[in-house]
Amino acid sequence: MRKIYDFLEQDTRAAGATRVLISTAFILIIWQLVSLVVTNRLLLVPPLEVATALVREFQQGAMATNAWATVTAVVSSFIVSVMIGVAIGLALASSRFLSLTGGPVLSALNSVPIIALAPLFVAWLGLGFASKFVLVLLVAVFPVVVTTEAGLRATDKPLIEAAQSFNASRWQIFTTVTFPYALPFIVSGVRVAWARALVGIVVAEFFGSFAGFGFAIMSASQTFDTARVLGYVILLGAMGLIGSVAFAALERRLAPWRLE
Amino acid sequence: MKPHLQIRAVDKTFNRAGKASVEALRGIDLSIAEGEFVSIVGASGSGKSTLLRIIDGLLAPTAGSVLVDGQLVRRPGADRAMVFQQDSLLPWKTVTENVGYGLTLAHKPKEEVARIAQRFVDLTGLRGFEGHYPHQLSGGMRQRVNVARALAVDPRILLLDEPFAALDAQTREIMQTELLSIWQSTRKTVLLITHQIDEAVFLSDRVVVFSARPGQVREEVTVDLPRPRTLALKREPAFVALVDHIWKLIEAEVRAGVEQGA
Repeated sequence: MRKIYDFLEQDTRAAGATRVLISTAFILIIWQLVSLVVTNRLLLVPPLEVATALVREFQQGAMATNAWATVTAVVSSFIVSVMIGVAIGLALASSRFLSLTGGPVLSALNSVPIIALAPLFVAWLGLGFASKFVLVLLVAVFPVVVTTEAGLRATDKPLIEAAQSFNASRWQIFTTVTFPYALPFIVSGVRVAWARALVGIVVAEFFGSFAGFGFAIMSASQTFDTARVLGYVILLGAMGLIGSVAFAALERRLAPWRLE
Repeated sequence: MKPHLQIRAVDKTFNRAGKASVEALRGIDLSIAEGEFVSIVGASGSGKSTLLRIIDGLLAPTAGSVLVDGQLVRRPGADRAMVFQQDSLLPWKTVTENVGYGLTLAHKPKEEVARIAQRFVDLTGLRGFEGHYPHQLSGGMRQRVNVARALAVDPRILLLDEPFAALDAQTREIMQTELLSIWQSTRKTVLLITHQIDEAVFLSDRVVVFSARPGQVREEVTVDLPRPRTLALKREPAFVALVDHIWKLIEAEVRAGVEQGA
């Protein structure tokens, strides 16, 4: 037992993969057991049936159509929201006036559940790409704004003082001290933004689209096709997980000193 | 000797919004000759670090002036470099990159930065650690990088702000002897701030004793102990007598500070 723990605690790829495998297997077993008890297939279907439904969707080409619609909208909007978020964060951190006047407005907007405005966006921008793009942008931009500003403001004073003592210009202090210091903060904001973007895209697709994972989940649930609903939910979960793992790895790479 | 670094009637008062202003320094006059090693000691609250920042050009004096070779100091310049007490190394840069940081900021060509950085890496005993990051180094090694970074810009005056305060006693003594040998080989003018009286006496030609709140020069003590000095000097009666003399000058203020919980 001791040896197993020693192995699992390691910071290696093999150990990490084993941890994921074990927890996945655990969930699958519980799921299988629960579906033996809950026999109403409208409520719950066992893992294997979900897998079969996914394979069928893949073979019929529906999955590719939906994936294309969702991924293009969410990725393009996500990239734009990160760029806008960093830009706004920079502006807030570099101008006291902006942070005093714009900061409260932004935090008020941040606490509004923008997702609830989805039907309105569909009414304004129509069914399809535009409404999805704007909704994802609005939900994903805030975490990036907040962490960019916080990261830029968090820079250790002694680091700035040392740069000043070498006669660094304001621009040099930004490029060699404050921005590198803020980068891991920004990436952590980006990680949150990705999770929010996925929620945004699904809700946007619930209300206004003819393709996409959200649309597929909606239409499958209207025909009580629980296997297909769960299949697409799992696909969305995988997208979230991949993003989260990738950005966490990037964060560690950018700031190894914060771990020790 | 003509004064190389001259501090003339420097006052510094900090005005903080909504709070009482604090007088940190009053009427500081000091002359330091080229190649001289001078230390400032004093109880906490004597404005030592503030004076060092004024000399470096990071802070402006409220009144008075700082002159280097007759030139008024307005901002940090290439003729002065500072070694900080805290960790002020860039955590995402390697030892070599940190040592070359000042040169990079001065837009020196890459090959030149690398060549000079290597020279000071060698001089400060960091050879073999060139590719390490600060968090992979011990406190003593990090302060070597700090010293090397300041020396790399080839300043005429080296300003050290309690550089060894965070180190354990043994490492501190090693670093003191290394600083001495670096000073002897480079012949910089050095101004050191410290709260370790024995450190000040061991290293310096002259020890300036500050009184606290506001910081004022209480006495200048000339240390005419022979050089080169080794750690054995710290057990000589003449050395102990000097340390004792300086301690008596600041003892009352240090005790008052301890009682105030400062």
